[in-house]
Amino acid sequence: MYKLTICHLYPDLMCLYGDRGNIIALTKRCEWRNIDVETVSVSLNDDFDYKNYDIIFIGGGQDFEQTIIQDDLMRGKRQRIIEAVEEGKVFLGICGGFQLLGKYYKTQSGSEIECVGALDLWTNSSEKRLIGNLVIECDFLKTQTKDGYVVGFENHAGKTYLGEGVKPLGKVIKGFGNNGEDGFEGAVYKNTYGTYAHGSLLPKNPALTDHLITLALLNKYPEFQGLDPLVDNLENLARTTVIKRILAEKA
Amino acid sequence: MKDFLKRMRLMAAIVITKLAVIGLRLMNRGGTSLPGKIALKICPDILSQLSDRFRIIMITGTNGKTTTSRIAAGMLEKSGIKYIANKSGANLASGIATTLIEALSLTGKAMIRTALLETDEAAFKITAPKLKPEIVIVTNFFKDQLDRFGELYSTLGHVREGILGSPESTLILNADDSLCASLGQGVKNPVIYYGFADGVYPETDFSSNNDAPYCINCSARYSYSSVTFAHLGHFRCPRCGYERPEARIECTQVLSYDNLTSTVEVKTPAGKIAARLALPGLYNIYNALAATGLGHFLGLGVDDIKQVLEGFESGFGRMETINVMDKEIKMILVKNPTGFNQVLKYLLTQKNKCAVALALNDRLADGTDVSWIWDADLEILSFMKDRIRSFYVSGIRAEDMAVRLKYAGIEQELIKIEHDENRLIDQLLNDVTDNETVYILPTYTAMLEIRQVLKNRFKLKDFWK
Repeated sequence: MYKLTICHLYPDLMCLYGDRGNIIALTKRCEWRNIDVETVSVSLNDDFDYKNYDIIFIGGGQDFEQTIIQDDLMRGKRQRIIEAVEEGKVFLGICGGFQLLGKYYKTQSGSEIECVGALDLWTNSSEKRLIGNLVIECDFLKTQTKDGYVVGFENHAGKTYLGEGVKPLGKVIKGFGNNGEDGFEGAVYKNTYGTYAHGSLLPKNPALTDHLITLALLNKYPEFQGLDPLVDNLENLARTTVIKRILAEKA
Repeated sequence: MKDFLKRMRLMAAIVITKLAVIGLRLMNRGGTSLPGKIALKICPDILSQLSDRFRIIMITGTNGKTTTSRIAAGMLEKSGIKYIANKSGANLASGIATTLIEALSLTGKAMIRTALLETDEAAFKITAPKLKPEIVIVTNFFKDQLDRFGELYSTLGHVREGILGSPESTLILNADDSLCASLGQGVKNPVIYYGFADGVYPETDFSSNNDAPYCINCSARYSYSSVTFAHLGHFRCPRCGYERPEARIECTQVLSYDNLTSTVEVKTPAGKIAARLALPGLYNIYNALAATGLGHFLGLGVDDIKQVLEGFESGFGRMETINVMDKEIKMILVKNPTGFNQVLKYLLTQKNKCAVALALNDRLADGTDVSWIWDADLEILSFMKDRIRSFYVSGIRAEDMAVRLKYAGIEQELIKIEHDENRLIDQLLNDVTDNETVYILPTYTAMLEIRQVLKNRFKLKDFWK
């Protein structure tokens, strides 16, 4: 029997906008396939021994909470997060967690807050918050029967820009995405995924969830052949219903 | 000349607003916000101009504003004070303006001198300094509609700013909420705190403190000697010493607690009260304590306060019971994770079989971001599956709620999607037998829609009456 261990980084601090739903989705979709799952919380002053984990998740936080974790992150966990990303661990960062994986966050006053620097991207604070429903198209999720669309909700005051080394997660179909300027959303580097889409992201986008689970199983079990399909009628109905509605708003 | 123009503008605003109210009611529309919007257009500083004509009590905070207002209204009645109130949740500046203008004669004289105003947190920042309230009651702060308010701490900041602009107001604050209690730090305002005595509530659920686990002053993690729910409890910061302040109004015992009532002992400076609240749910005990704070301020004796607390029945939509033959529909508003969790825990006290419908909308008043349903413990419903005859989801985002239920452990075959409110009510009533209950848990605008249907079919009272 396969087993995966999920690490939820700073669940008491970086858990905004239903981030918990992502852990629930990963867990349930493993359980329904008889894959054993365990979730471990790692927060302030805890060791982050990434080698014990197969999927690492960090969600969004409010400014107050992000300042609390700043020290803890830069003191101990920073180097380990960089190593985890470089080693190809499956890593998902959403909203504030996405920004933290980058190099820095530049505030309104122009000062740069140093971030983890695991991904070649950076964020400048913007005056206007970018808020609303978000639909993107992800090439790596496209198949003959699947459109590769991912839907979520974005709410961020930062504009993120990608450097040479990272690719966007997808192309913006509706919404702002990374910065509201270049038409792209999120970032992918090795097995690390960052995005502004919450909503929760994973429950309504089962193809993306299964993609992450598959990568984690392949990392751990080289002989792994592929996931059993699940009945995703409700998930797909929720996804297509909201996408249809969001796209219709354009008119 | 300038004063004359100012006065003319005010008079014009009053007359036109009153006409608009009458017109909208004739057309059978609520007309609780639009007239005030017009008034604010004609006379932008109308609230400041009207403030000295009224004695004003404002109630704000994330959860419990409406229920607290309703119990507070009972306290006013008991004190023999005539008052006006924005009862129907029209709690932005426009709704407040409508309410105040309705209490004026056509010549601008206040016919009723006291105004009880439930106020949205963001609107409080702007309206409180203008209205100069005599009393401000703050219920609590939880994460709520972050798409509209921004962060929890900016919501708190709004209220703090409103209070800084009203240094004369007496504050009635929740002592158990580290965020709410902090409003009483370093201000000159007189403060009356309310809360639960240490360890009174038998639950110690430390895991669910996601809203405010860290000290608002110095960011160290609070330690708690007891918790009531979420981040409410007897907190203390080990680093800077900020701690739950002493409460003048305190619940010292929960004597009984079921799905219809809770019986509590409340300590006030005037003596102890044992009251049976006709309201279930721990969160409603807090609302009762907040209103008791007002009763204390007004100088009511313990017997009077007891009578108000026991005589109160739940208001518009927050929890509403409609009897249909021998069956019962209970509609309870849900709007954020903490409130939702309290309602779900309340459902656990339900002993008979029941049917449950969840109605999720994503209009502005509901919050356009529905991700908050993932922060609520819908898993509770899977623990009581054997008592639930059927699960329905409805509203604009019914499908999102269906997915939430599925991932909460409800088999997908059991989850029924029904967008039509009439059919929803038919099916729910059809699924339960006599003496059983149908629970409808809607978000704000979904509640208005379902209520309209219930009103047409079962002749409910209009909500602005």
